Amino acid sequence: MRRVAGWWLLVPWLLAAGCAVPPAEEGFTPVPEAERPVVVPGRDTPPAVRRLIARAREAARAGRLDRAEALLERAVRIDPRNPVLWHYMARVHLHQGRAARAEGLAAKSNSLARGDRLLQEANWRVIAHARAARGDAAGARAAEARAEALGAGR
Amino acid sequence: MARKPTRKRRRRPGPARRTASRRRSGRRGRWPWLRHWKRALAVLLAAAAAWTVYLDVTIRTAFEGKRWALPAHVYARPLELYEGAPLAEADFRLELKRLAYRPAYIPEQPGTYSHSGSTWVVHTRGFDFWDGTEPPRIVQVQLGGGRVQRLTDAGGRAVDLVRLDPMFIGGIYPSHHEDRVLVQLEDVPPLLVEALIAVEDRKFRHHHGIDLRAIARAAWANLRAGAAVQGGSTLTQQLVKNFFLSNERSLWRKANEAVMALLLELHYDKDEILEAYLNEVYLGQQGRRAIHGFGLASRFYFDKPVGELDLAEIATLVALVRGPGYYDPRRHPRRLQRRRDRILDILVERNVVSAGEAAAARSRPVRVVADPPHGITPYPAFMDLVRRQLRRDYRDQDLTSEGLRVFTTLDPVVQARAEAAVAAQVAALDRARGLDGRLQAAVIVTSTTGGEVLALVGGRDARFAGFNRALDARRPVGSLIKPVVYLTALAEGGYTLAAPVDDSPIRIGGPGGEEWVPANYDHVSHGEVPLFVALTRSYNQATVRLGMALGVKRVAAMLRRLGLEREVPAYPSLLLGAVAMSPEEVAAVYQTFAAGGFRSPPRAIREVLDARGEPLKRFPLNVEQAVDPAAVALLNSALREVMRHGTGRAARQWFAPAGGFAGKTGTTDDLRDSWFAGFGRRHLAVVWLGRDDNAPIGLSGAAGALRVWSDLMRRLHAPPLDPPGEDGLEWVEVDPASGLRAAAGCEGAALLAFRPGTAPGEYAPCSTGLAERASHWLRRILR
Repeated sequence: MRRVAGWWLLVPWLLAAGCAVPPAEEGFTPVPEAERPVVVPGRDTPPAVRRLIARAREAARAGRLDRAEALLERAVRIDPRNPVLWHYMARVHLHQGRAARAEGLAAKSNSLARGDRLLQEANWRVIAHARAARGDAAGARAAEARAEALGAGR
Repeated sequence: MARKPTRKRRRRPGPARRTASRRRSGRRGRWPWLRHWKRALAVLLAAAAAWTVYLDVTIRTAFEGKRWALPAHVYARPLELYEGAPLAEADFRLELKRLAYRPAYIPEQPGTYSHSGSTWVVHTRGFDFWDGTEPPRIVQVQLGGGRVQRLTDAGGRAVDLVRLDPMFIGGIYPSHHEDRVLVQLEDVPPLLVEALIAVEDRKFRHHHGIDLRAIARAAWANLRAGAAVQGGSTLTQQLVKNFFLSNERSLWRKANEAVMALLLELHYDKDEILEAYLNEVYLGQQGRRAIHGFGLASRFYFDKPVGELDLAEIATLVALVRGPGYYDPRRHPRRLQRRRDRILDILVERNVVSAGEAAAARSRPVRVVADPPHGITPYPAFMDLVRRQLRRDYRDQDLTSEGLRVFTTLDPVVQARAEAAVAAQVAALDRARGLDGRLQAAVIVTSTTGGEVLALVGGRDARFAGFNRALDARRPVGSLIKPVVYLTALAEGGYTLAAPVDDSPIRIGGPGGEEWVPANYDHVSHGEVPLFVALTRSYNQATVRLGMALGVKRVAAMLRRLGLEREVPAYPSLLLGAVAMSPEEVAAVYQTFAAGGFRSPPRAIREVLDARGEPLKRFPLNVEQAVDPAAVALLNSALREVMRHGTGRAARQWFAPAGGFAGKTGTTDDLRDSWFAGFGRRHLAVVWLGRDDNAPIGLSGAAGALRVWSDLMRRLHAPPLDPPGEDGLEWVEVDPASGLRAAAGCEGAALLAFRPGTAPGEYAPCSTGLAERASHWLRRILR
C-alpha cells in the first residue's frame, strides 16, 4: 500500500523534475501540502546530475523508489552541495515511510539552501510531515509554521 | 544407485539353495576352495556394492559442497565519468590498470583503451548494475587540470555520464575453504574450454567418466618410454583426484577414482562437471597457499580476470594442468614455454585455432606477473570492515553460499594513495626515531558527504591480513577530543570563539582524595586567552577549566551525539582525551564536523544484491542533524586556524594548500600515540601512529601523524574547504593576543566565524598602533 501511495505523492516532484508526466495526471489526486511548493533543480546543475534526476524520476514513476533513491545518491556524490538533491532524497525517503531519515535529509538541504526561501519552505513542509508521521504533533505544527512564514515572505 | 545392494541381497542364497549347494560341493570334494564360491562371490559383491555406495556418497558430498558454495562477491565503487569529474591523469591510469584494462592500438575489445596526450579512448566492459545496465561502449575522455574536460562517444557526441565496471575486490568465503575466485562456465572464454578438452580429454563430451582407449594409449606410450609420459585420465577423473588431493599413486586409488568418475557422470551433466573442474583444478602454489581453479590462477599468474586471457595465456594455463610445480613459470620458464608451444601445436592439429594464431601466440614469451597478489584480496583491512558490517545483517552461511553481490564504497585510487603515504612516511619516521620497524600505523579516509569509507589501512603492511588497527586499535585520543569540548561551549555554553578563557594551573580532586593536575604540553601557563587560541594551540589547562565549567557529562553526551556509539565514563580526564578510541570511531566523530553538524556513521557498503541481482538490502545515505550547523561552522573556522597558525601549521611544508583544511593534532602521554584528524571539502582522513606494545614512539601528533596525513592529501590532490561564503555567519579577522578585531598590522590574525551580532566590535591594539596590548586586554576583562 505504501508504495502505491508514495507514487501519487511523488507526482509534483515528477512534474517539477521535467514535465515527463502527461499533464492529464496533474489533477489526479489532491496533492498533499508537503508537495508544495514544487522545487526544480538550479540552472547551473551539471548535465550528469540532470541525467540522474531524470532517471530517478523514471524509477519513481515505475514505483521503484529504492532505485530512485540510489540514483539520487549517485547525483549527490557528484554534486554534494546541491540542496535540491538532498530535498528530493528527503521526499523519496518520506514516501518510503522513513520519517526520521527524511527529516535529516530535509534539514541537510536547508543547511545548504541559504537564501532560497522556496526550497526552505519545501523542506519545512517535508519536516512537518515527517514529524507528524512520527507522532510529534507539536513539532509538526512548529515546522508547518516555519514553512508558512517562508511561504508568506516569498 | 541405492537399488544395487537390495538386488544383491535378494540373490543371497536361501536355506533351500544352501542344501543344494552343499550337495553339489560334496560332489566336488576334491576342490574345497570352490565349495563356498557362491557365498564368497556374494559377500564380495555385497562389499563392492557397499563400497560403491560409500564412494557415491563421498563424491556427491564433495561435489555438492563445492558446487553450491557461491561466496559473496565484493566490489569497489564504480568510477563515474562526467564532465567536470575530478580525475587526475595518474589516477585514471591507476584505475584502468587495477581494472585490468589493457592498452591497445585501437580499443576494439571491451576492456581495452588507447591513450595519447591527455585524450583517452576507453572501450568499457559494461556492467549490469541493479539501477540500470551500463552497456559496453567506446568513450573518449579528455583530461586536463585534474578534471574530465570532455566526454564524448565514438561519434564525437557529448556523453553525460559513464560508469566503468566496478573492480572485484574479493569474495567472502567460509573460513575452512581455501581461497578461490569462482568462475561460472559462461564467464570462461570458450577457447579455454576447447583447449582444455583438446589437450586433456578429447572424448570428454562422449565418454561416461573414463576413457578406456585413452588409458590403453597412455599405457602403451608409457611402456615404450619406460616412464610415465602420458596420462589417460579424463577431466572427470582429474576432477575427482583434485577433490581428494593426495600424492598416493596406488592402483587401488586409481580404481576408486575411476569408479567415482563414473558415478559423477551418472549424477551430473557435462557442463556441471566442467564448471567444477575449472574451479577445482590445482594450478600452482604460493608458500602454503594452493592455487586452485582457473579464476584464481588467472589472477595469480596474469593479474586479470579469466574472461580476458589471450591465446598464449590460455595455452600457458592449460600447460600447467599437467604439473604446476614441474612447469612453474617463475622457476622453470623454458620448460613451461616448451610445454605451452606443444599445447599450441595440439590446438592447431585439432583445429581449435589456426596455424597463424598459434604462431602469433608462440612468438610471445611466457610472462607472468612478478609479484602475484597475496591472499584472497588486496584490501584485507577494508574487506574486514565489509565483513563486519555484513555480519550485522546476515548469517555467515548466507554470505558464503548464497551468491550475494556486495557493492562497497572502496575507492581503489584513494586506497592506493593512502597505502603509498603510509609506506613512505612511516618508514621514514621509523628510521628517524630508531624504532626498528616497530612503528605501526592506521588510516581511514571517508567522504565528507555521507561518511562513505573510501580507504582503510590497518597497518604499515597494507597487504597483510592481520590485526586491523583502523578498527581494533583503541588508543587514548589525546587532544583530538578538544574540539568536542569547544563545540559544547559554542553550541550550548553561549561562548564565542573570541570569549576569554582561563589557562591558569588547575587541580582537580578525585573521590578518593587523589589529585589530578593537568599541565600544558609546554609547561607554561598562558593566563587569559581567547577561546579559539586555547583550541588551536591545544592548551590543556584552559580546556580542562572550560570543560569543568560546562560539565564533563555534557561533553561526554556531545561526544555520543557526534557519533561515538558507546558510553564513555565522564571523568575529568575525558577532557584531555583519556578515552580510548579506534581510528574508525574518531572518523565517525570528525565526520560530523566535516559534514557541518550532520552525523553519518562510516559505512562501507552501498547495497547487497541477491544472486538474481535484486537488492536485498540497501544502506542508504543517512544524515541526521546532530548539532546546530552554525555552531559547527564556528568550530570549523577555528579548526582551520589550527592548520594556519596552530599545531597543524607544519602541514604546509609538505602540502601547500593545507591552510585551507581543518584539523586537529592529538598526542598522548610520553609520546605513545600520534594522531591527526583533518578534512577538506571532499575527504576526511584520520591517521594514527603508535606501537602495538604501547611503548613511546617519540612523535607528537604534529611530528608524526600530521606528516602522513599531509602526504596523503597531497597524493589525493584533495580540494580544501570552500572559502567562507553565504552561510549566514559573520567572518571576522581576530587578533589572537587580545581576542579583538584585527586589521592590517596584526600578526597572525585568525579568520573566524561568529553568529550575527556576536563578533568582537572593538579593534585590537595592533590595529590602531597602540603598543599596550596587554593592558588593553586586561582593561577589557576588568570592565
